[in-house]
Amino acid sequence: MKTIRHLILALLPWALVACGSKPASTTGNSDVPGSQEEKKLNLYCWSEYIPQSVIDDFSKETGIKVSVENYSSNEEMVTKLLAGGGKYDLIQPSEYTVEALIRENQLLPINPAALSNLANISSEFRNMPYDAGNKFSTPYMAGFVGICVNTDKVKTPVKGFTDVFTPNHKGRIVVLDDAREITSWAFATEKLGINDVTPENLEKVKPILKKWLPLVKVYDSDSPKTSLKNGDVDLGVIWSGEAALLYRDDKKFAFVLPSEGSHLFVDNLAIPKMAAHPQNAHLFINYILRPEVSRKISEAFPYYNPNSAARALLTNEEIANPASYPPAQDINRMQTFRDLGKQAAAIDELITQIKAGGK
Amino acid sequence: MADSLQGGSVPPGQQAGWRSWLLLSPLLVWLGLFVLLPTLLLVLTSFSRRDDMGRVIYSFTLDNYLRCFDATWLSIFGSSILYALVATVICVLVGYPAAYTIGRASPKNRRILLTLVMVPFWTSFLIRTYAWISILSQEGLANSLLLSAHMIPTPIGMMYTPFAIVLGLVYNYLPFMILPIYTSVEKLDNSLIEAAYDLGAGPLRAFSSVIIPLTRPGIAAGALLVFVPAIAMYAITTLMGGGSNPTIGEVIQNQFTRARNQPFGAALGVLLMLLFLVTFLLLGRKKSSPHAA
Repeated sequence: MKTIRHLILALLPWALVACGSKPASTTGNSDVPGSQEEKKLNLYCWSEYIPQSVIDDFSKETGIKVSVENYSSNEEMVTKLLAGGGKYDLIQPSEYTVEALIRENQLLPINPAALSNLANISSEFRNMPYDAGNKFSTPYMAGFVGICVNTDKVKTPVKGFTDVFTPNHKGRIVVLDDAREITSWAFATEKLGINDVTPENLEKVKPILKKWLPLVKVYDSDSPKTSLKNGDVDLGVIWSGEAALLYRDDKKFAFVLPSEGSHLFVDNLAIPKMAAHPQNAHLFINYILRPEVSRKISEAFPYYNPNSAARALLTNEEIANPASYPPAQDINRMQTFRDLGKQAAAIDELITQIKAGGK
Repeated sequence: MADSLQGGSVPPGQQAGWRSWLLLSPLLVWLGLFVLLPTLLLVLTSFSRRDDMGRVIYSFTLDNYLRCFDATWLSIFGSSILYALVATVICVLVGYPAAYTIGRASPKNRRILLTLVMVPFWTSFLIRTYAWISILSQEGLANSLLLSAHMIPTPIGMMYTPFAIVLGLVYNYLPFMILPIYTSVEKLDNSLIEAAYDLGAGPLRAFSSVIIPLTRPGIAAGALLVFVPAIAMYAITTLMGGGSNPTIGEVIQNQFTRARNQPFGAALGVLLMLLFLVTFLLLGRKKSSPHAA
């Protein structure tokens, strides 16, 4: 959670002082001859997305010490990255943010020669519109945003966003704390393309959002499953991986792809331009691309795994989880977010304002 | 009384020598680097613009401040002040008897009781807040106890409500109220209370006319220590309020992260700081008011 992250951040300098900086070792781990990097990697990633065990195993194998910092929205990450607040070596932007960062010339090109495991990524994820040819990013995990319903508590059928945001669900809803996401649901309801964000269209969805947001009890992007699990809310619009975890533990949590339409998100690993340890970052990406490692990630965070070699290692039960692997024809229909440029700020503004005045 | 003591303790006209400045210098450097400089940066940012990616552009504008006076943000300021006020009042009501008891206990018991007040501090406040979440949630400890005791027919929604926010604030800030009041109580001159009784005051009168005024500095200090951080607190209010009852601390944090609007966040931050200043001046004045009366 973000608050824990702040605490960890506060403690980090002390931990670093306590450990002391080790001189760069001379084991040949680099793909660029002649240059050596100190064995460190500063990872800036989503909360609840990379299992600690995977990071620990990587450190054990390579001797590279990984410092982890978390964020809970792409916007938060970009703000910090551009403010130069930290020297990150590896970030985990979603597709539309990759596009924006490429446009702003903030990413280091990926060296394909250093990624021997790249072929494990299934072909449909290898040439996405936001980064044609994967020059700057490598898919980490994909997923959807959908509706999770506690069927013990909600007896009426819930098929789409309009069924979620009804007055009799007031105070029983959790949603992602993400302005772009929330706005896109209203766009889908109005049959507008999720990337057709213009001032006129925003004006069009404003009344819908004004009706919806006061019904919401909890905004949580870090771990929206928690309030569902604790019974504090009965339904919500959340990440598919979170819904998959709920379903795995208790079948009463149904996952529904909204009838108005959903979108596919692809989270990637990318290296910021100012990275101090780009070689270590490549090593980490290549490590993540290993089937058995990626499989472990799927186990902890059951999103839609773009790594086909890893998917082959999953159990039937994991593949059958409707939140992780919905029917292919549904996925094919989905759009992905594109970078909005100027309009991104307008969305933030709109949601912040409605949220604040919604009560 | 306090005024005359202060007047006598500092000899007039004494110049601070270079030695005193040397002794002060670590503090001055600290204040300069970590208070003055960041504050100046904040003020500078609050008059700036931003680009689409959220980068600050240093060109002068008043828009951020003008936007602050929109009803949306004012009402959030209002509700944050209300939460902090309610939490402060509850802290006084709960903290005063506790501090009084500790202050009047025997020295040995006093030490034990004081330790008990501090013990929760040894655990991170985040962990304590998460503990509250598991206590208060719909399927949490509190509800299951009440249900099994048949005191309530159905679980009560306690989490993610204003109640949870105030509870979180009171729980985390109570020691900041108890400790300053305790210090005042400990210094209470028994003979003054006895004098009140000798002059015919009952326990209530002695309490309201003698004990309360004498411990007022402690109450004021406690109120300041609780009220000011409680307005700006965002971690507890986000975790326990669920984000649907936003407080000004949360809104400011959001401006610096998700909303990518650092200048507006800075403007709200500057206003918050002014609010603290006003609180400080008000409470500082209260302290000396009984002498004026």
